[in-house]
Amino acid sequence: MNSPIMTAFTILLTVVLYIISRKIWIKTQNALLTPLLLSTAGIILILHYSGITFEQYKPGKQIMTFLLGPATVGLALPLYLNRHILRSSFFPILIGIVCGAVSTLTVAVLLAKVSGLEALIVASIAPKSVTTPIAIEIAQIVGGDPAITVAFVVFTGTLGSMIGASVLTLCKITNPVARGLAMGVTAHGQGTATILQEGQTQGAMAGVAMALTAIITSFIAPLFIPWLLG
Amino acid sequence: MITALKFSAQLFLLWVIYFLSAWVIKTFHLPLPGGVLGMLILFALLLSGVIKEEWLTTATFPLLRHLSFFFIPIAVELMEWGDLFRQKGHLLFLPLVVSLLVALLTTGGIVQLLTASSRKDGGH
Repeated sequence: MNSPIMTAFTILLTVVLYIISRKIWIKTQNALLTPLLLSTAGIILILHYSGITFEQYKPGKQIMTFLLGPATVGLALPLYLNRHILRSSFFPILIGIVCGAVSTLTVAVLLAKVSGLEALIVASIAPKSVTTPIAIEIAQIVGGDPAITVAFVVFTGTLGSMIGASVLTLCKITNPVARGLAMGVTAHGQGTATILQEGQTQGAMAGVAMALTAIITSFIAPLFIPWLLG
Repeated sequence: MITALKFSAQLFLLWVIYFLSAWVIKTFHLPLPGGVLGMLILFALLLSGVIKEEWLTTATFPLLRHLSFFFIPIAVELMEWGDLFRQKGHLLFLPLVVSLLVALLTTGGIVQLLTASSRKDGGH
């Protein structure tokens, strides 16, 4: 049964769990305890044990995600504020980001395909290195499922934040510009927040890489994925 | 009060850009996310000076700080996909982990190589 009271309850539940999990995350600073991961797990458990179905949660979802589109547009502002970085060494940065974005998409899609996963999953895995709001939109365009894509994006962001810097060091990639860009391309916002702790250059580079990876993947994925799967 | 008004007006500006982008994409059947087109339009408007950054900061930064809130309702739909992850979760591990390492090392390696060679040439 869908009722305004149920909708109000699911919205309240989501907001409260977000506030609590954000407090926990700020306190612990643990890459595994992000607000998204904690609140989602908490909400699913509460809905499951109180017998509320996803169909009943859906009306609240429509209301809560209303501002996601405008917020995504706002990503242009940090990119604009960091525009001097793009100017400083435009071609190495652009080549590095394009190659990273294209290779990771290709490897993910092909490995998922040879693993025998169904088309819906293969399409959902394609934008896994893209920042979540845009990854969701790409998933819908290439025939994936937004919720599954969020799971892949969060897995990638979390693992990338945890091992990214060590892998780069292990492979003797020490240049701060290269490290920042690599983390932004690989692990979007989560990687950006992590590598920012190494220094301002790394953080700003990662932010720029995150935005450009999202734009580049948006343009190539709809053309490239049908071809890879064909 | 003034901050609230400012916040709402800025939010409206972002919404108008998003709404127009989504409309353009739908009308012309472009295979592009509405958010990306909106982002490119806003970036161009900022670069050309049509929109000043001060017109956006009050709404945009709080919105981006809490961006992950909007993903929660979307991720909750994963409760419908429990079986899939139980049955095929192990198959996802390889594509996700290998592609992650590929992205890190491709971008990191290429940028380090290109910036190192431009430094040797005396340019920076």
